[in-house]
Amino acid sequence: MTEIKHHGFLFDATRCIDCRACMVACSVENNIPMDKTRIWVAGIGLKGEFPNLDHASMVYHCLHCNAPDCLSACPVGAYTKRPDGPVLYDPNKCIGCRYCMNACPFGVPHFDWDKGLIDGAFIDKCTLCPQRIDIGLEPACVATCPTDALVYGEWTDLVKEAHGRIQAHPVRYIDHVYGETENGGTSYLILSHVPFEELGLPTIGPVPVKAVSEKVMEFTIPFALGWGAVLTAVAAGVHIYNRNKESDVKQAETPEGKTEETK
Amino acid sequence: MPKTELSRRDFLKMGAAAASAFAVGSMIPAQVAQAARDAGLLDSAGDGYIASMCEMCVWRCGLLAKVVDGRVVKLEGNPDNPHSKGNLCPRGQSGLMNTYDPDRVLTPLIRVGKRGEGLFRKASWEEALDLIASKMQGIKDTYGAEAMVFSTTHCLSQPLFENLMYAFGSPNYGTQRSLCFNAMIVANQITFGMEEPDRDYQNVKYILLTGRNLMEAISTSETHDLSYAIDNDVKVVYIDPRFTKTAAKASEWLPIRPGTDLAFHLAMINVIISEKLYNSSFVNQYTVGFEQVALAVTGYTPEWAATLTGVEADVIRRIAREFAAAGKYALAHNGWRTSNFVNSFATERAITILNTLVGNWGTTILPSSGEETGTLGQPPQPPYPRISAQRLDGVPWKYPVVPLKIGVFQEMRDNIVTGNPYQAHGWFISRQNPIMSIPDRAKTLEAFSKMDFIATVDILLNDTAWFSDVVLPEASYLERYDPLLIIGNKVFVRQPVIEPQGEGKSSLWIYKQLGERLGLGDYFQYTDEEDYLRQELTPLGVSLEEVKVKGYADLPETAHVGEGSEPTFNTPSGKIELYSDTLNKVGFPGVPAWEEPPKPAEGQFYLLTGKVAQSTQFGTQNNQLLHKYSDEPRLWMNAKVAAEKGLADGDWVVVTSDAGLVNVHLQATEAIRPDCVYLTPGYGHLSKGLTTAFGIGASDSVLHVTYTDPISGGQALSQTFVSVRKA
Repeated sequence: MTEIKHHGFLFDATRCIDCRACMVACSVENNIPMDKTRIWVAGIGLKGEFPNLDHASMVYHCLHCNAPDCLSACPVGAYTKRPDGPVLYDPNKCIGCRYCMNACPFGVPHFDWDKGLIDGAFIDKCTLCPQRIDIGLEPACVATCPTDALVYGEWTDLVKEAHGRIQAHPVRYIDHVYGETENGGTSYLILSHVPFEELGLPTIGPVPVKAVSEKVMEFTIPFALGWGAVLTAVAAGVHIYNRNKESDVKQAETPEGKTEETK
Repeated sequence: MPKTELSRRDFLKMGAAAASAFAVGSMIPAQVAQAARDAGLLDSAGDGYIASMCEMCVWRCGLLAKVVDGRVVKLEGNPDNPHSKGNLCPRGQSGLMNTYDPDRVLTPLIRVGKRGEGLFRKASWEEALDLIASKMQGIKDTYGAEAMVFSTTHCLSQPLFENLMYAFGSPNYGTQRSLCFNAMIVANQITFGMEEPDRDYQNVKYILLTGRNLMEAISTSETHDLSYAIDNDVKVVYIDPRFTKTAAKASEWLPIRPGTDLAFHLAMINVIISEKLYNSSFVNQYTVGFEQVALAVTGYTPEWAATLTGVEADVIRRIAREFAAAGKYALAHNGWRTSNFVNSFATERAITILNTLVGNWGTTILPSSGEETGTLGQPPQPPYPRISAQRLDGVPWKYPVVPLKIGVFQEMRDNIVTGNPYQAHGWFISRQNPIMSIPDRAKTLEAFSKMDFIATVDILLNDTAWFSDVVLPEASYLERYDPLLIIGNKVFVRQPVIEPQGEGKSSLWIYKQLGERLGLGDYFQYTDEEDYLRQELTPLGVSLEEVKVKGYADLPETAHVGEGSEPTFNTPSGKIELYSDTLNKVGFPGVPAWEEPPKPAEGQFYLLTGKVAQSTQFGTQNNQLLHKYSDEPRLWMNAKVAAEKGLADGDWVVVTSDAGLVNVHLQATEAIRPDCVYLTPGYGHLSKGLTTAFGIGASDSVLHVTYTDPISGGQALSQTFVSVRKA
């Protein structure tokens, strides 16, 4: 059996011109409805005061984590991580609980409020174009990028390429390849000349949230059940108290002739 | 039998639904699919890739159209095309949405309401073509052929459009050029004897961009090349009153005062000559007029320029020295849409001189190699009739150095309104939107009102079609053949990848049909589009089938002019003309001289215009995919100025110029000089037939005041001053 190589894409913010060809290409390739998108421009855009200005843009979409939190949070196994990179979502399994949205540290999965149980596909996000990479094409966003701000390739090669660019231009780049270690590593790697938070990326450690969340999840159900019982008891108590109080009020008002409420 | 009745009715219902919803599509005999199947491009199911050429702007990138079941589902850049290098910009990516625009005109239309009411009835091609031909012939018989005005935009079928016009006998030709790049091409013509030399980024070490916003006004391959140059630490100095996305990538951004680019360049020339930093052997061997230039620029010191431009003298001096130090590896980009001020022509001339002084000819500036059509064949035809009538646009009687095929569109419009030197009565327009593009829209509408007859060819009811009497539906660029294009040593084809929506037809077909009805059939000696292309290919020894497979074919090796030989220049002296006797003879300065353009009055602003990556001129705003990913076109104003005026981001404002007023949302931003405002062009459409674009943004053409440069005929688009108040 041939070894499946981990692939990914490398984004270089110094090369991105915010032209949005990637967004259009993605929309057409994946037949995205006109009011939805899988790629968006993130970050603070323009900063500074005239004439000392800077501008940075970021092609933001699913980072395709090596240890995806969406996958571990999903109670019905709608997510899979392919060994060659893509994190995929199966609309037929999804029950629309939106745990993945809360779990994703990058805020990627988006909930489609227009769809219900019957239509399926509550969640939408970048797929890394498996229909293209499986036949040897680059993902749609990469293929069209006029400035090669996006490139696709083997993950280890891309990491090497990214560090090579930093070494060649130490002043230009921040000395860090975002996604190499973040959240346990992601298939989407990012180089930048501005702090990563200015591109809209969270500051996040190397330990995947998944590792933490799975620990927490062990307690979730007993905790939820226990806390639920407490809440139910409290709610019942409050209801009884209010009902008693209401009848007290009515009784108190009646002697003064304010009888409207009891009529 | 009831069952048969039902299924027959269902079938009819289905047919009607399919025809309207899918606009014919796969319902008609699939000629394209069959041809593509025969060529092995589509499989038996009708799926595959067909190579063709983009037309979302004029750059002509190569594309590969993915076709599934008779529909285009995706466009890719063709890696073999030097204009796209495998990439497409957002406009190129969205191209299929132009074809599948629900607002497409699907049949010929004949106006039934008042002009501008948008009331049309469907007509057959026969009726519409007969009507146009009879109206055109009637105008010719009554007033002379010159009473018919023709206008179109840079496109591959333009030679056939010109063929119809010259065969008809009219001298009145409107192109978009005077609203765009007359200053640049006339300057290149005067200095180098060619309209636009190529730029080469392979060996470049220093780039001066005068307002050339390549990261937003995308020319795919050139944007790509600039991006790699920046990546390779090439210094890029960018001059623009706005902080554009190109400014963000440049090494140095100089927010110059509008209208003073000329002073900046004259001061650079002053430094390079006075400090003897120029390439004297190149200047001696290949140029004329160095002494005149040296004499003329003595007073144009960096200190002088600093007071005008707002750029410090030391900075100008440093940039001049850096530019000269890069020698033949330096490149001063001549820009593209250079219609800015009445001194833009002199600015462009100064840029040609800067390049020449460092001797970059043959290194970063090459003889124009692209788009040679001379080697293509063409059908036989008789000579054109002699035209004795004066042109309405003042070429050459008012504009002696503007080439005839370029013209001065805004002047033509003005003379249609005044009726001088004679009254025009009809206007035939193809793939162009003069109501949106010519400055002072109210005046253009007035010119339309002078017309007895207007016919427009387009894929949409654009604003001009909306005010026309007959509209002919063109097939989109994915649905038709156009004449071939030679780039370098390859010949490229634009070929249909799907059947036309509705009854759309190619320009090659439409012009021939009109020509035949006007008794001009001898000028259109081809049976159909493929026959025309075959006749073009005859002298090249390449078959159409070969070209269709990959979208291009290699041409037999031939020596290109200027390649490996001494450079030649098609100027009167045969050399690069730093001083131009041609200009001198017609009463213009032979070397560029400072001319102070007007300034805005107190409380007014320069109105700037300039492209965004998601639209091309006036024709793409209705594309739903581009609309989806475009920013709202708001009026940019410096954030501090806005605050002083009590205006907040997002406020409705009224913008007023001498020509008109518009209401638009305000964008308070740091990315613009305090004395300027900026409006994205191409919005504020009048046509309600553009259901996506109608109601979005405001038209800069409503505000633009007409000022024409007397030398190049270019419209000074940035020489409009506006006041802004809260709505």
